[in-house]
Amino acid sequence: MISELDGRARTWISVSIVAFLAAAVLLPFVGPTRLDYHNVWLRHDPDWSILSRLRLSRTLLALMGGGALALAGSLFQSMLREALATPYTLGVSTGASLGAVISIALNWHVVVGIGGVWAGAFVGAAVVLFIVMGAARRERQLSVSGLLLAGIAINSVCGALILLVYGLTGMSQSFAVSRWLIGGLDAIDFSTLGLYAAVVGPLSVAVIAQARQWNLLAVGESWAATRGAAVSRALFTGYLAGSVLAAATVALTGPIGFVGLVVPHLLRSRVGGDDRIVMPCAFFFGGVLLASCDALGRVVLAPAEVPAGAITAFIGGPHLVWLVRRGTLR
Amino acid sequence: MSDAIVSVRDVSWRAGNTDVLDRVRLDVRPGEFVAVMGRNGAGKSTLLDIIAGLRAATAGDVLLDGRAVSEQSPIDRARLVAHLPQTIRGDLSVRAEALVLMGRYVHATGWFESADDRAIAADAMRRCDCVQFRDRIVSTLSGGERQRVLLAACFAQRPRVLLLDEPATFLDLDQQLECFTLLRDETRQGMACLAVTHDVNLAATFCSRLTVLAERSVAFDLEAATALDAPEWLHAISPRLAVHPSANGRPWVGYR
Repeated sequence: MISELDGRARTWISVSIVAFLAAAVLLPFVGPTRLDYHNVWLRHDPDWSILSRLRLSRTLLALMGGGALALAGSLFQSMLREALATPYTLGVSTGASLGAVISIALNWHVVVGIGGVWAGAFVGAAVVLFIVMGAARRERQLSVSGLLLAGIAINSVCGALILLVYGLTGMSQSFAVSRWLIGGLDAIDFSTLGLYAAVVGPLSVAVIAQARQWNLLAVGESWAATRGAAVSRALFTGYLAGSVLAAATVALTGPIGFVGLVVPHLLRSRVGGDDRIVMPCAFFFGGVLLASCDALGRVVLAPAEVPAGAITAFIGGPHLVWLVRRGTLR
Repeated sequence: MSDAIVSVRDVSWRAGNTDVLDRVRLDVRPGEFVAVMGRNGAGKSTLLDIIAGLRAATAGDVLLDGRAVSEQSPIDRARLVAHLPQTIRGDLSVRAEALVLMGRYVHATGWFESADDRAIAADAMRRCDCVQFRDRIVSTLSGGERQRVLLAACFAQRPRVLLLDEPATFLDLDQQLECFTLLRDETRQGMACLAVTHDVNLAATFCSRLTVLAERSVAFDLEAATALDAPEWLHAISPRLAVHPSANGRPWVGYR
């Protein structure tokens, strides 16, 4: 017997995968420079290089980054039962930003063999993680309200510290810092992209594989515990996984967080609250949304570029407000 | 009593500087339907939480099927015990059937529940008279309808011990009678059941045993069938309760 739920899940997930693959193939062709398809076909430069190096790497980064952020957002929303919970609202991303900004301000290009911004972002996220988890621990148990409150508090502290660092830096660095803080996608080399994929891919699979556990936690902690879930361990691993997904993405894109908030909500209003459907769809559709917004940002005011984060906010924000108004959201 | 499936052994629980429970002892055997009664703050929910493994006792321990609850994994506990919470969040956007299927968490091995799991869930929903809500979103159900769905989730878990924190909350009178009849029938087939309730008549009619918590401990532990013959225990619940003979000759608790 193939149940209705299995069928619905299969349809939604297949559609999201097809959209993801289509975006990966088609979006690199979108850009301010008109490509000569004959040259592309013959693999002649510069057209072939623009497509295969610059635009392809950027599109893949957007697809994976949007996916990682949307997945981390839906994970935090389920796990913490809070509509506004994402790594962006709960400090981790701001911590990563602070670390990145400090390493830009101090002109650390390379730290122990890896890029200074990457290293800074990871250290920043790890410090925030350590503080928030330490604050939210009571009698060897993590509490949801503790994670929320400590996260929001640390978020504003990191925001203030970013402003402080920004004020203390010299002219040239402060330009680099503000450029980074706007956030946005850029072409990156394939070895960095490969490293990023090696972090995000397995972690996303691991998170999605635990979807039944996140479903239980979305009802309540004692509900989950008395159905057989190890609640404290689940909160710990979930918080860690969401934070790593967010920090790795922030390190490459700067702070673009709205995807993580908006995509899970749009999906829940359509497919219901089952994370076995919501989470894989959030990953694939989140990637498609960010990559499409980035492609749009490349051409809409060409030759100027509108950062992808701004486009997602322009499109996603009003859509979210409209859903709230209609009352279809939770 | 070695045949007890739940054995509460000198359990104490402190909240800050207040002793809520002090050396509580209670044994429940399979087939018993125990009403846990007492005033607000008597520690009824706390006792249920400790048995369910949701809180650790400050002192003492609870044995479930002979093993200390603190030493069992959440999976082991969930195979033995189901817990019906007083309430859950109201804005849950899953279908009622999905909520019931969550009771199959420890039994289902795949990423989606099997046809067997679905059949068990459907059966549980039929018994709790909520199969007609299976495709409704939980947040659109009324309080009583939601309560029946939650009870179905507990049945779908196929527990040997059922802990219910005020199962009659939100239920209309007819559904309260249906619910307690169902629980009585289930316990007669070998399940052990502890239900927190404030309704003395409901407890005396359907339960097999009445346990009254007062003064941080078990003040009265009575056979339900004869409890109203010597009604001084009612004072532990309220001084304004009194037993009157009812029309069919059974004693009945009324108000003064």
